[in-house]
Amino acid sequence: MHGGLKHEDVEAARRDLAGRTLAKIRGDFARLIYLASMRDYNTGEYHHEGLACRFTESVARRAIASCHRDAFRRMVLCSVKELVEELELYAASNCTTASELVRVWEKLQPYRIAVPSECSSLAARFFTSNIRTALAVLQSRQLRAHREALSALPSP
Amino acid sequence: MSVLAYLLLAAVTILNICLFLSRRGGRRDSDREGFGTGQETSLPGGWGSLASELGARIFDPEDLNFVASETSRQLTRQFRQERTALALDWLRAVRSEVNQLIRAHLRVARGNADLQPADEIKLGFEFLVFQLTSGILYLVIWAFGPPRAAKLVGYSLALAGQLRKVTKDVLPAGHQVAVEIMDSKQEAQS
Repeated sequence: MHGGLKHEDVEAARRDLAGRTLAKIRGDFARLIYLASMRDYNTGEYHHEGLACRFTESVARRAIASCHRDAFRRMVLCSVKELVEELELYAASNCTTASELVRVWEKLQPYRIAVPSECSSLAARFFTSNIRTALAVLQSRQLRAHREALSALPSP
Repeated sequence: MSVLAYLLLAAVTILNICLFLSRRGGRRDSDREGFGTGQETSLPGGWGSLASELGARIFDPEDLNFVASETSRQLTRQFRQERTALALDWLRAVRSEVNQLIRAHLRVARGNADLQPADEIKLGFEFLVFQLTSGILYLVIWAFGPPRAAKLVGYSLALAGQLRKVTKDVLPAGHQVAVEIMDSKQEAQS
């Protein structure tokens, strides 16, 4: 009985989080990064002040974990082409350029923290491999565009 | 006659390679389970179904074609190598799941007086065919990459599904035990 109630509470908290917060974020990838950022690096527990106030700390924690798993699932199952589009959208919504995103992300690899803790190592490796590839595609596109811009300049 | 002998020799060699790769894959699974999360095996619900969907993604040629059209040859080669490694790991995980299921079935079957020998032989044969197919699949993935192995993957997965069904039909308790094992594993992980 208690478990059933708890499940309903978690579902309500999930809907609340999706409606109030996640709906305002553009792109699945941005949502994934946002959800991962609510996790404490030391304890692995999620925390969201507003959600914990409206529900309870444990219900909020479970709801965020569940949303994080769903967001990760969507991203890990999308194609590299879709991932490239998501990264471009993410860069645009964070007021940065794709080239800046590629430069920083290749160095710091922050996408590694986007993986939920209970995910299989195979899914985690598949995800990071796809992100690295998507970044490489973005970089190739920029190089191509740069070369085309140079060749379009009138020769002295 | 000599052609037949060569064919027989080739068949035996392929069988040996498959069995060797099959054992090698199995050993790697047990090594991995020693220090990993061990969650590659199918779990009921969320992550378990992700594993099978992940298989479809790994073997899909769409990504390789896209990367080849967008990046250099070197990057495409690197991507293909990464996908091959992932596909081999995925295959090991599927085989590990099937092996676990068969082990659970054997454990329950030992104490069951109502066993049907014909069903057990059928199960044994299907398990052998699965081992053989997955061994060949391992070779094909390793040699040609995941996109070329996509069709054989479908066949292997159909066989794995058939094995799951047969273990359930032959001995429902065996399936129950397997599910219980997987459930307890998930509880321990969560």
